[in-house]
Amino acid sequence: MSRFAELLDDFFFRPDEDVSGLQDFAAGSDGVASSTPEEVPEEYLSFLLEGESYAVPIRLVREISKVPPLTEIPRAEPHLLGVMNLRGELLPAYDIKVRLGLTERVPLVAGPDAPAPPRDARVLVLRTETGPAGVWVDSVSGVVKLKPSMLEPPPPGLRLGDKDCVVGIGRRGPSLYILLDPEQALTP
Amino acid sequence: MSPPSKALAEFVAEATEILEALGKDLLVLDERRGQEADPERVNGIFRAAHSLKGLAGLFGQERISRLAHGTEDLLDRLRLGKLHLNDAVLDTLIEALDAFQALLAETARGTESDGLTRRADGMAERLGQLGEVPVAQDEDPLERLELEAQVRSVFTEYEEHRLRENVRRGVALWRVRAAFDLSDFDKGLADLNTRLKPLGEVISTLPSAQPGGAHGIAFDLIFGAQVSRMELESGLKGTPAELSPLAVRPAAPSATTRSAEALVRATESPAIVLGAIGVASAPEASVGGSTPVKTGGSKQGARAAMEDGASHPFTDPDSDTELGETGGSAEATGTSGPSLVTYLQGPGGRAPGRAVTPVAAPPVATEPSLRSLTQTVRVDIGKLDGLINMVGELLLIKASLQRLAESARQEGVVPLSKLFGQELARETRGLERKLEALQEGLLEARMVPVGQVFDKLARLVRRITREAGKEIDFVIGGGEVELDKLIVEELSDPLMHLIRNAIDHGVESPDTRLAAGKPRRAVVALRAEQKGNHVVIEVSDDGAGIDELRVREVALTRGLITFAQAEEMGRRELLNLIFLPGFSTARSVSELSGRGVGLDVVKNNLGNLSGIIDVWSERGKGTAFHLTLPVTLAIIRALVVGVSARTYAVPLNSVLEILSVQPREIRTLERREVLDVRGQTLPFVRLSRLFGLPERPVSRYFVVVVGLAQERLGIAVDELHGQQDIVTKPLGGRLQSVRGISGATDLGNRRPVLVLDVADLLEEGLALERRRA
Repeated sequence: MSRFAELLDDFFFRPDEDVSGLQDFAAGSDGVASSTPEEVPEEYLSFLLEGESYAVPIRLVREISKVPPLTEIPRAEPHLLGVMNLRGELLPAYDIKVRLGLTERVPLVAGPDAPAPPRDARVLVLRTETGPAGVWVDSVSGVVKLKPSMLEPPPPGLRLGDKDCVVGIGRRGPSLYILLDPEQALTP
Repeated sequence: MSPPSKALAEFVAEATEILEALGKDLLVLDERRGQEADPERVNGIFRAAHSLKGLAGLFGQERISRLAHGTEDLLDRLRLGKLHLNDAVLDTLIEALDAFQALLAETARGTESDGLTRRADGMAERLGQLGEVPVAQDEDPLERLELEAQVRSVFTEYEEHRLRENVRRGVALWRVRAAFDLSDFDKGLADLNTRLKPLGEVISTLPSAQPGGAHGIAFDLIFGAQVSRMELESGLKGTPAELSPLAVRPAAPSATTRSAEALVRATESPAIVLGAIGVASAPEASVGGSTPVKTGGSKQGARAAMEDGASHPFTDPDSDTELGETGGSAEATGTSGPSLVTYLQGPGGRAPGRAVTPVAAPPVATEPSLRSLTQTVRVDIGKLDGLINMVGELLLIKASLQRLAESARQEGVVPLSKLFGQELARETRGLERKLEALQEGLLEARMVPVGQVFDKLARLVRRITREAGKEIDFVIGGGEVELDKLIVEELSDPLMHLIRNAIDHGVESPDTRLAAGKPRRAVVALRAEQKGNHVVIEVSDDGAGIDELRVREVALTRGLITFAQAEEMGRRELLNLIFLPGFSTARSVSELSGRGVGLDVVKNNLGNLSGIIDVWSERGKGTAFHLTLPVTLAIIRALVVGVSARTYAVPLNSVLEILSVQPREIRTLERREVLDVRGQTLPFVRLSRLFGLPERPVSRYFVVVVGLAQERLGIAVDELHGQQDIVTKPLGGRLQSVRGISGATDLGNRRPVLVLDVADLLEEGLALERRRA
């Protein structure tokens, strides 16, 4: 990105600037009554992995952190990137790209030989049954509200791992979000 | 009985402390059997018994009070020289201490058993009957001392006794005169006393006949010096003290018969001497040739009156002689010494017909636990003040955080400013730092001297020795070394096992020892020493040592090792077999030990405390166990090492030494790498290989030798970065199954540094070795 583009960056549209209310309003103005007006939308956090949009229910996200220095754990499972120190708390950070079949190998992000993390990379701290776990994402796109009517079951034949860590597809306007079950995605 | 209340718990805590002090002093007397007993110590024991009596009375603990009364009475006779401290007396006193412990244990549980009541009352009675009259002296040594009679007259019975003892032994006596300002004389006098204490014995402190100026007060200290005049003078430099020697006439055999009668009178009832001052002192004074007496004639009455009443509050700022004071006033009112004793004994206390009762140790049915009855820790008030200050600072931070929370709540959904975030972050950081300091302070407050458990063990040793029919000198050292209270409590059982082993198996019977050309009495020693941030406790004996061939034989017959393994083992490895579960070389299972539990229990207990145990033994010379323990368990000191540009922390309490090793010194033995360290083969792993890290060529390795219990392993690393105090955070949660890492810590650069799990690595390294072998 050029310096000029960087300066303008703030003025560009960001997906997390929620305009769904406006769109709903616009949709209603068409005179087409919504079939299920009382359905409650659920908030999802959407993020990018290798250029694809994924989303997890926001209630499972404890916080979003810039990538802190990671320390690799010797002889741990390959998808464990390392541990990080988040305000004195020790958290594991995981890679889910290999699990999702997006890359062949776990990127080198921890330890002394790792390059500095990309500017947009973040670690999502997710609440799991066995305690908080960090998940590396390439960038965070924002919060999307998805109504149950916007959800679709995962299409058969979609590029998937062995287990169903994809629970569905969220469709909102032109955007598609692959909805993940974090618990499954973190299982090696 | 009612269930233990808070007041009772307080009583138990305080009584435990008194008994601990009592036990410590008794132990010293016990160690110095046959020597002249230190009067300070006897007096100290007397005071402890006295306080215990008062305390027990206050809380309605009659059984303890009765026994304490008997003990106090015996000790009073002892300190006044009416009773000679012999083995029988000492044994009874130690037995009484055991009885106190048992009584207190029952009190803590809120029970009261008849058997123990009978035992205690029987003992109290025996204490009253105990004693032998000291040999009558030819001449009262006090007569040889050139001291004004009116000064002598105000001595308490105890002080007079001490003075007499000092004269008899030919100690140089001094009158130390010091004048202080009235406003702070207590401080000055206390200071003078502290300076004098190491130089000799302060026998008495009296208000001086010389006025100390308009706003001053002067004291005469009668002092028995153990050092020369020069040393005494230099020791008192800076104090207002003036020295003048008290002359002592050499003993005159010819005078013996002449004054014998009067002397006997004087010894028996000093009160009579006091009463007779006006008549009797004149010829005495002329013999002594002391000048002040002539001028003092007219003042005599006034001075005596003054000292009778007024002197007592000033007599001893340490309140050293509380009961001595009562004794003193009793004398002054004409009550003689013996009647005072009778009063203390209570009705029917004395049966002179049976003066000396041989002490028969009553069989002790149950083994008393060595664990403390209370969970109390004594803390220096300064430390607590520091903690309180820290809490104050935490409250300030809390107030700031509250303010921030309030402003955040009022702003509601409006995005919070950057400044707000920064402020919040700063407060949180401050909170974190303060909490850490608080934790550190609390850890420090938990430290107690290891002597607490040593003293308890020492009493146990006496009993074990008696039962085993051996003669043992038990030597204790380093009791002042401090450890976490938790560790000290957990130590008592392992140490007890080791000491029992030493007495039961280690030390030979007296006859065997003589036959082997050793002294009849064996020495069993228990010593603690602080070494950096860990404490080494040594249990040693000078007995027969461990027979490693016998160890090997037993291990083979019990199937603990195979024959092939035994063939390969060196002496040291054979010795270490004694830590295996189910191992015991005792041919006969004795009452004391040899049940095959013991050393493996010791090893386990120590492992729980991250301790290391090591055994040294030489046949015919003895055995020594070294226990290495961390000072505390929460904050540990760690060695920071570098491997392949990664940083790891090794808990220093398991690091034994660090070697610098050239790659060519690494030898291969049956395809496993080993090091030869001072003639011993050390299993060795390269951390980079073990962890699968990219290896870098280095010109030399640092080998961190770690040990846990009796296992050893060398871990090769590339660099050493020094030592640091760390708080280990467990990996927890999802990472519990990670091998070789016990947690991570923050060394201040935000990157977590992994802490090696030494126990895990040891096991792994040695398993690796066994598999390959």
